[in-house]
Amino acid sequence: MTEKNPEKGYVAILGWSLNAIDAIDRFDRRYVVVAPPWAEDYCKQNDIPFVPWDFDRLNERSHELAHRLEDMGVDVAIPIFEETVEWAGAINAVLLKNPRLLGQAMLFRDKSLMKRRAQLGGIRVGVFEEAHDRGDVIRFLKRVNQTLLKLDGDPNDPIHFKAFDKSGTAGHRVIRTPEDVDNIPDDEFPALLESHLDGWEFAVEAWIKNGKIQFLNISEYVTLGYSVFVPATPELEAHRERITEEIEKLIETFDIEFGFIHPEYFLTSDNKLYFGEVAYRPPGFNALELIERAYGFNGYQGLVVAFDPKTTQEELDAFFPEPVKDAKGHAGCFGVYPRRRVVSRLEVPEETAHHPYFEFHELSDPREQKVAKRSAFGTHWGLAYFFGDNPHQLRDLLKKQEDLDYYV
Amino acid sequence: MSLTDAPTDQPQASAQVQRLCDTLDVATERLERARPFAKARYLGPVLDVVARLLPIEGGVDAICKRAVRLDQAGLFSGSDWDRPESLMPQLVGTSLISDDPSLRALEAVNLARFLAVATEEARHDNLHVDGARHFLTQVLALNLRDVFGHSDEAARVMGERYETKRRLMLYIADHIGLTDVLGVLVSEIWRLLEQRSVQVGVVKDMIAQIAIALHEKGTEPGSTRLGAERLVSALFGPTAASLDDPGVDVYLDRIAHADEAGLSREAMGFARAMHDTGLVSDYHVAFLLWAVEYKDRPLIPEALGLGSTGLDCWRHYRRLIEDLIRTAVTPATPQAIYGMSTLLDRGVLHHAPMVPALDRQIRLKLRGGARERLELGFSPQASPETHLLAGVLQVIGQPLGVGQGANPTCQSARAIAMWALNDPDFLLHLVTQAAEFDTLLMQFEGQPINSADLPAGLAGFGPVDADPVSVLLVSHLDRIYAEMGRRCVGRAGDPHRWINPEFHGWWVARDCAVAVDVTTGDLADYDNFLRRFFITYHPEFNGNQPVTHPQPAGIAVTDPQCQFVGWHAISILRVGEDQSGDMRVYFYNPNNDSGQDWGGGVIVSTSGHGERYGEGSLTFEQFLSRVYLFHDAPLREKTSETAVPEDALARVRAQALDTWASDRQPK
Repeated sequence: MTEKNPEKGYVAILGWSLNAIDAIDRFDRRYVVVAPPWAEDYCKQNDIPFVPWDFDRLNERSHELAHRLEDMGVDVAIPIFEETVEWAGAINAVLLKNPRLLGQAMLFRDKSLMKRRAQLGGIRVGVFEEAHDRGDVIRFLKRVNQTLLKLDGDPNDPIHFKAFDKSGTAGHRVIRTPEDVDNIPDDEFPALLESHLDGWEFAVEAWIKNGKIQFLNISEYVTLGYSVFVPATPELEAHRERITEEIEKLIETFDIEFGFIHPEYFLTSDNKLYFGEVAYRPPGFNALELIERAYGFNGYQGLVVAFDPKTTQEELDAFFPEPVKDAKGHAGCFGVYPRRRVVSRLEVPEETAHHPYFEFHELSDPREQKVAKRSAFGTHWGLAYFFGDNPHQLRDLLKKQEDLDYYV
Repeated sequence: MSLTDAPTDQPQASAQVQRLCDTLDVATERLERARPFAKARYLGPVLDVVARLLPIEGGVDAICKRAVRLDQAGLFSGSDWDRPESLMPQLVGTSLISDDPSLRALEAVNLARFLAVATEEARHDNLHVDGARHFLTQVLALNLRDVFGHSDEAARVMGERYETKRRLMLYIADHIGLTDVLGVLVSEIWRLLEQRSVQVGVVKDMIAQIAIALHEKGTEPGSTRLGAERLVSALFGPTAASLDDPGVDVYLDRIAHADEAGLSREAMGFARAMHDTGLVSDYHVAFLLWAVEYKDRPLIPEALGLGSTGLDCWRHYRRLIEDLIRTAVTPATPQAIYGMSTLLDRGVLHHAPMVPALDRQIRLKLRGGARERLELGFSPQASPETHLLAGVLQVIGQPLGVGQGANPTCQSARAIAMWALNDPDFLLHLVTQAAEFDTLLMQFEGQPINSADLPAGLAGFGPVDADPVSVLLVSHLDRIYAEMGRRCVGRAGDPHRWINPEFHGWWVARDCAVAVDVTTGDLADYDNFLRRFFITYHPEFNGNQPVTHPQPAGIAVTDPQCQFVGWHAISILRVGEDQSGDMRVYFYNPNNDSGQDWGGGVIVSTSGHGERYGEGSLTFEQFLSRVYLFHDAPLREKTSETAVPEDALARVRAQALDTWASDRQPK
């Protein structure tokens, strides 16, 4: 166990993530994991400091948890999952004696409020609307396509449907026809509807302290839901200055003093940046791991320094490297979905296996899986990891993977 | 000289190795860094890279250099491999050719770790240098065929997997030497030979490999060398005139000029080597074929090493025996000599139908599908008829040497062994039927069954990796057995109650006890089952009645960890006290090697406890603890005048509940 520094902060990790716990256990801050009671035995066996808690809908008991953590001497709470963002807000409002933090967290949790707030802050967003039922979705689909001067019978431009409180690609659907609307399950309402933007989609990971960006990473999507790599190509990195300005606008608009944000943007063909959405928690798709592979610092430990009120600027400067320049190479990953309807075994495609950029995979055995029909962006069967010097070669390689069978 | 193959296209391979090593180091670093509770997630990538590194030239070396680091990083934590002191060498070969690349990789790193400890490059808390060496030695001995690159059909099918395994074995052999391996191998061969299997091809191959190793590598003198040389000489130079392995032509030239005393010495030398090992030298074949044309044939009984019963048969049935030698003994079928010798010593020729039945066998012509199967299974150097006749002599001469090969056909193998022991003329009747008509006719409760009308059974269209009689009969027997099972559908209870007597013969007792309820699989009235077995088989409780005929029984086979493996057919041959006064059950196991470890201290003995060739034995209680089905006579009382002691029943019950029956207790 790494020696803990009593001079530094004591953090609470909200949500169960073995990767996060592993990284933070190796770091010098005292910590406690707040997670559902089923994790209790595991934590006891492995000497992981633990407070059992059921994160259901935020309720009046958040106060109870906040005071319990306060009594333990905890300085700040760090959300690991979308579901714990508002809990962190409520707890930090108490711990840091700043009631606005709860309101801020609610903005992050509601995609519609978030979008309006951004719009109010002068941030460019696409056309969007809230949907409470399928009728709203049909109406939006029609209106968007009318605006685009489509005639009856022309194929519709798609719209995007995102359940309010789901993270990442879960609950994200692309809607083209009324049939697509019928397929939306009831529990995904209310939702945010957005017009489709043709362009270059990418994500940003930003560690923030004292209202300032401490480290900004640009993650380039090759195909949304399939593949991503860091650092981005020089063509996308060329926009870093503008992107940094956009993030600063977000910090100002959402009044972010510290922490970590993960926004998504579109760069359209007319060279405009559109804000998609922002999350106040680590990204999915193991993006932090890619950053670690490329830069060598652990993103979860980065979270701790960014949240801990006792972190000094010297510590921050020493912790984070210089973007792009300090990267040892480009790290990417590809989420593998079975392409055939019936599969019997896992077999990494020959050309992938022999490619010098291919590192390893974490793919599950087909005997443990069923091929499900993909409706929304589903869950992949695991990730294949790549690393190399040339971002263009890496991007093309990741794109190529979409045409290959990993499961045969 | 290095045993490892010379590397091909080295620069390309080494660049690839370098790249994968870098990746492996990245993956290893992540594993190293992770806290114990988080390691599991990082294992997959490490094993993935190791698996890709293994087949590349130089990959094994790279893995060996990293084995200790991988071990310390926690690659084995939470798995059986975490306790290297309790690993079993016999499982290694299978893991290395598993269809799961992660398992292959894990086993490779494990061996590499043992190697590092064995060569004192590393230390391990739970593994001593001698322990590591011994383990690797056993692994090599068990996989010696791969060390010498003897590939068979199965190996060819596996292609790269097999090559990779071989490369790893060679690497280990190169680093620890083969001297110890020979010792292990020699005792393993002696253990197998003591069971006197009909099939000795694998053992003969291994001895040939030892001969090569002795010749090429040399070993220090000692008991190992002595044991090895005894095996090698039995095959390649058992007598004074063949000692220098001169080749058959030179040898025949030598004996043509030998005197009577010299010839007699040759004959006795062959007989001694043959009865010592159960193996027949090619020179023995040459000698016997020469001797069978020598005037008055004085050398035949000596060369066969006959005992008094055999000699008596020789005097009575000389014409038949000479005919059998001329027809069955060829350079492609040397083991027919051993079969001939043991058949004569069993005295079965005195059983009236046997002489005409064997005469019929000599003249038998194989037809159709039967002929094709034998041609597929045996070398073309001899006709299928010759192979079959040689097989008949061996099976009747060594009934307990019949094995099922790698086929799920224990019942059929058991039946052939039982008939060969008990009813050899019936076996010859079946052989004739199958050879001529490619079918078998049997009856089930008065209703005829014709195997030609039935769909293929468990063994498909029959094994080709067994003895000639099995190759001919098993596919038919297997189908008939399955059909008898179908005809019992709907009857309450275990179908073996009706099948076994109908299938094997009148001597199988018609009552039957089963330890489990057939529908639930749970134990049912188990104490009474155990008591009945005591009363039927134990001399102290059955009025000292011996077992007269082999009785089929069902065994719940367990592995060395006491885990249930499956149901298995055996036959009980006799029950009696061994030299130290322990009551034992002697039985026949159609599995090719009876000496198995069934866990919990139950290790089947094949010699040293009064076993005859081919018998396995356990103490009465140990044996009973694995029985789930046996037959007993309907008329006999199910109670005994001497009560079976409750503590004996309790001991047996406890052993069963600790092993195969642990999850079979009635709810």
